[in-house]
Amino acid sequence: MNAEARTYQKGEIPGIIAINADVCKGCDSCKRYCPTGAITGMFGAIHSIDVEKCINCGQCLINCPFGSIYETVDTVDTVIVKLQDKNVTVVGIPAPAVRVAIGEEFGMADGSLVTKEMYGAMKKAGFEILDNNFAADLTIMEEGTEFIVRARHALFGEEAHGHKVGPLPQFTSCCPAWVRYVETRYPALIPNLSSAKSPQQMAGPLAKTYGALEVWKKPPETIYTVGIMPCTAKKFEASRPEFTSAYHFLKKEGKAGSDTPYPDVDTVLTTRDIARLFKKMKIDFTKVGETDGGPLAEYTGAGTIFGNTGGVMEAAVRTAYKVLTGNELQPLEFKKVRGMKGVKSASVTLMDTKYGKEVTVNLAVVNGIHGNIEPVLESIMAGTSPYHFIEVMNCPGGCVNGGGQPIKSDGSSWLRVALPLFGWK
Amino acid sequence: MSKNQSWILKHPWSVRSFHYLLVLSFIPLAITGVVLFFKPFDQLTMNLYMRIHVVTGVILTLDAVAYFIIGFTRVIAFVKRSFSFSANDIKWFSILGGYPQKFLLRKKVAVPPMGKYNSGQKLFGICVLIGGTILIATGWGLWGFPHILPHSMAALFGTLHLVFGWLLILFLLVHIFLGIYMFDDFKAMFLHGKIPCEEAKEMAPLWVEREVVKIER
Ligand code: SF4
Ligand code: SF4
Repeated sequence: MNAEARTYQKGEIPGIIAINADVCKGCDSCKRYCPTGAITGMFGAIHSIDVEKCINCGQCLINCPFGSIYETVDTVDTVIVKLQDKNVTVVGIPAPAVRVAIGEEFGMADGSLVTKEMYGAMKKAGFEILDNNFAADLTIMEEGTEFIVRARHALFGEEAHGHKVGPLPQFTSCCPAWVRYVETRYPALIPNLSSAKSPQQMAGPLAKTYGALEVWKKPPETIYTVGIMPCTAKKFEASRPEFTSAYHFLKKEGKAGSDTPYPDVDTVLTTRDIARLFKKMKIDFTKVGETDGGPLAEYTGAGTIFGNTGGVMEAAVRTAYKVLTGNELQPLEFKKVRGMKGVKSASVTLMDTKYGKEVTVNLAVVNGIHGNIEPVLESIMAGTSPYHFIEVMNCPGGCVNGGGQPIKSDGSSWLRVALPLFGWK
Repeated sequence: MSKNQSWILKHPWSVRSFHYLLVLSFIPLAITGVVLFFKPFDQLTMNLYMRIHVVTGVILTLDAVAYFIIGFTRVIAFVKRSFSFSANDIKWFSILGGYPQKFLLRKKVAVPPMGKYNSGQKLFGICVLIGGTILIATGWGLWGFPHILPHSMAALFGTLHLVFGWLLILFLLVHIFLGIYMFDDFKAMFLHGKIPCEEAKEMAPLWVEREVVKIER
């Protein structure tokens, strides 16, 4: 598979999601959820996934009624070995959406917020913690300020120092399935993606540089970073060869401790995986008690809402508003981009104090790529899009409904009741 | 049909037409179902089998619903007969209706007196009633909206469809064999609906004694 994969760079993991032909019933459910048409197989015949088209989102996996779809990458045992190795510091990076879902794997009510219990279980397993919410705050700052640069360039011709300014509309770039979607299907729009890395990919280098040297006081090469994500595509993202910035930074500083580049994020566990890890290590999540996350687990409400549709946009708008006007957005909640509609849009008028001019920004939030994104992208290609800033999340509902989350009995069908019925072709 | 012989109408036209459609739909359903289970063919052929399965499934559903409405009293009678048991049924099952002795040892053993349906046919009737209803209901769910059903329910539907599918296929094989063996009954079901009175007296004495009324023409 590796040798033939054409849309993957060397080192990237192709085919994170696969279909077990022995279990597949050919019922066609998965096809109805796939945003890229990557699933082949006629109704009644065994289905399979075209890895070139697949963006690793895992929506098919959580929606196959017969459990025929599985992840090919499972590093739970590897992480357990690392946790038991005294020479390795394992840093867990739990994403915002994990803490509202992991409780379900231990019989707690759906949606229970169990941040401190999650920290407690992680500490008990031997993890150090760098909360991804902290990194989500960084992503917001980057995406928000990058948008201001792009908007000022477009409106006032302002130049940025030292780099080319990207075009509008600016897309969010924190969803790796969405990024791969653009790369494989709309490469002309790659410049529209924010250049900001996702929270996971900001957290990795942070752990291996600042965390290693200043917080845990360990050699960076002994830090093993584990993204704990609601998302199967994050496994793919961590394998992208460009994400070795901690190594390159430390190399320049003479502190890399190795001549072989190491990844910023060594491995990724989904919410399901980490629950399995706790169970394998006999950690009873329900009894572990509450613990604080430590110095790298501080974050704002902006980072917290990252996991919901509209959350990134809402947080970015708050940041841009504050940077442009010097004031907090009032009211702080930007409710127009919340909710489960496929494409949500809103406008905000802000005073750019630097130029003394009012600016109206048109925003859109694409809640799930499947069935929603193409008209938005086609209008951008045609030059008729009214939008300046667009949040795109592959999964309907956002990361809370990611492909790595506990598999709900009703999948995500409750989000998309209008999918076609009665298979035929 | 000999004019001198007395005949009993066992299968009226409504039953016969229901049975025709049942044969025409269930046999292709069984064959395509087995193929869909083993998936031996390429994509296009598997899809063709699935389409035949779906179309014949729809025919079977319509047939069952239509018969339920048109032949409601017969359905009720069939249900009543299938679910009425006596000590004779235990005796019948203990010698399996005398068939193994007849086929394997070429020996005739005394069989307890039966009604319109013997104990084996009653068991088959119960399986057809329950299994058929389950196959129809689960089949529609699995075809129409497996992605909307809760996963555990879809998986249960899949298992039930499989178990009852195989069960009815196995029963069908026995049913076809015995159906052809009792050739008069076979002709009655597929042709004119009537069986010779003498044969009925032998095969279903309680039915003839208690339920059959002589009509003078
Ligand atoms: S949903 Fe599952 S069983 Fe149905 S076709 Fe897809 S992989 Fe096969
Ligand atoms: S992982 Fe996502 S893109 Fe890949 S086949 Fe499944 S639904 Fe389609």
